[in-house]
Amino acid sequence: MKAFHHYNARSIDQALSLIKDHDGQARFIAGGTDLLGVLKDDILPRYPLAIINIKTIPGLDEIEEKKDGTITIGALSKLAHVAGSPVIQKHLPALVEAAQAVATPEIRNMGTIGGNLCQDTRCWYYRYPHQMGGRIQCFRKGKGPCLALKGDNRYHSIAGGKGCVAVCPSDTAIALVALDARIVIIGPQGEREIPIMDFYTNMGTILKPDEILKTIIIPPVLAESKQIFLKFTLRKPIDFAVVSVASLIKEEDGMCTDVRIALGAVAPTPVRAYSAEDMLRGNSIDTALAEEAAQQAVKGFKPLSMNAYKIEITKTLIKRSLVQ
Amino acid sequence: MDKKTKQEDPQEIEIIVNNIPYSLTIGIHPDQVGPSDTLAKTLRETLGLTGTKVGCDQGSCGACTVIMDGLPILSCLTLTIECDGRHITTIEGLQEPKTGKLDPLQQSFIDHTAFQCGFCTPGMIMASRALLDNNPSPKTHEVKEALSGHFCRCISHYHVLDAVLSASKKGG
Ligand SMILES: Cc1cc2nc3c(=O)[nH]c(=O)nc-3n(C[C@H](O)[C@H](O)[C@H](O)COP(=O)(O)OP(=O)(O)OC[C@H]3O[C@@H](n4cnc5c(N)ncnc54)[C@H](O)[C@@H]3O)c2cc1C
Ligand code: FES
Ligand code: FES
Repeated sequence: MKAFHHYNARSIDQALSLIKDHDGQARFIAGGTDLLGVLKDDILPRYPLAIINIKTIPGLDEIEEKKDGTITIGALSKLAHVAGSPVIQKHLPALVEAAQAVATPEIRNMGTIGGNLCQDTRCWYYRYPHQMGGRIQCFRKGKGPCLALKGDNRYHSIAGGKGCVAVCPSDTAIALVALDARIVIIGPQGEREIPIMDFYTNMGTILKPDEILKTIIIPPVLAESKQIFLKFTLRKPIDFAVVSVASLIKEEDGMCTDVRIALGAVAPTPVRAYSAEDMLRGNSIDTALAEEAAQQAVKGFKPLSMNAYKIEITKTLIKRSLVQ
Repeated sequence: MDKKTKQEDPQEIEIIVNNIPYSLTIGIHPDQVGPSDTLAKTLRETLGLTGTKVGCDQGSCGACTVIMDGLPILSCLTLTIECDGRHITTIEGLQEPKTGKLDPLQQSFIDHTAFQCGFCTPGMIMASRALLDNNPSPKTHEVKEALSGHFCRCISHYHVLDAVLSASKKGG
């Protein structure tokens, strides 16, 4: 790995002032499980001059349950800690499943939930190691077209993309979308809170280089709702999702009164299957309706070369998440 | 610039490896630790503890696993400069220092021929050691889960499973 300066930030203010000092040429590091891979392979258009450790800022790794049932998770909480937390296990089983589905036990001991939400894409053209036969340029690296469009798209988007068709790799993001989470961002202009759906863009996230993801807020979950997170991969551990689905369903007297379905690894951002949700609300969910809703969810999806199979997997996971 | 130098990390860190404290200075000389050095590099190249292996250097094979403060972690994705004050156990730390007697888990790997080339073995053993320290009688699926991030190119996984189960309390 090429050299960089390293700082342990002791407070948010210090982290923000350090990043300002480096004029956009520095990066925050949390668990490092994604960032160090990116740095080793020299992917970034500009290699950072400095790395600022935010794990050393006290108080950013706490999980709390508020009186009204709201749960807050500090962005620096390790994935293993999130999956093992009694509060999360009690109220947010979909998030437990998603956190547990990430990578391997060792990586979950190191990687944070904030880093999981902010991680860089895993497109194999974008992530191609610079040191292996020279740099592969692409749209996301700021030079030339997206190579996936004319290449091998096994793991790319089935729901379009502007300029780049790499998918959002985060598992926890998908569960958090189904849980209607909000996230708190802090930067030089102060703090702001946004719905997690607004966090993601075609090219990654709205996070500016000088901003820190501070907290994840999960509003009280609908009483007696059912949560589920399903992830399809070739190997169970290590692999990123080919497709993932998180859903939250509330039924009263056999009737679906509310539902949220989130799709992962099908597009550059997490996707909410709004029109499928509309079909389910007010009806009793049986196999036939689940089938129809799954069909509706992928309506308008356009596979690229070699990835039509992902549409079938998406439909199957949606059905499984609705009726088991 | 003054402000920056003031805030930069201490120029010396201490890591405790296999119960031996090492003071390391941060710098660019061969006996120093660079700010971008991984723990795997420091263990192998600065401290000469080459028992820890580096396979993929990207987090996907588990070969570089060491135990840090009781938990298995990947030394290839850990910056040494962030390990100040940490307790690290590597494969070299398992045998009885005075008698040279192997850890029961190491012996069990030998007894079950749980390797061929042996490259993945230190990582497998460290992850299994951490598992047995926290859960002395794991079920088969728990051993599989704990080792799910470990890749063996020689396909010794089944023998590894037998070795770990037999070294666990239940297996005797
Ligand atoms: C072999 C392997 C397999 C993997 N499999 C999966 C998988 O199946 N599913 C999945 O979801 N992920 C997977 N990952 C990715 C891994 O989960 C994430 O890398 C991890 O959660 C990232 O967390 P981190 O704390 O290590 O992030 P880091 O590597 O420290 O950071 C990642 C990025 O986010 C930024 N960042 C981190 N935290 C913050 C913050 N609080 N505020 C602002 N910016 C921040 C950093 O600057 C950096 O750009 C895998 C990784 C590896 C190496
Ligand atoms: S060398 Fe660290 S996981 Fe492969
Ligand atoms: S014994 Fe050769 S890699 Fe496992």
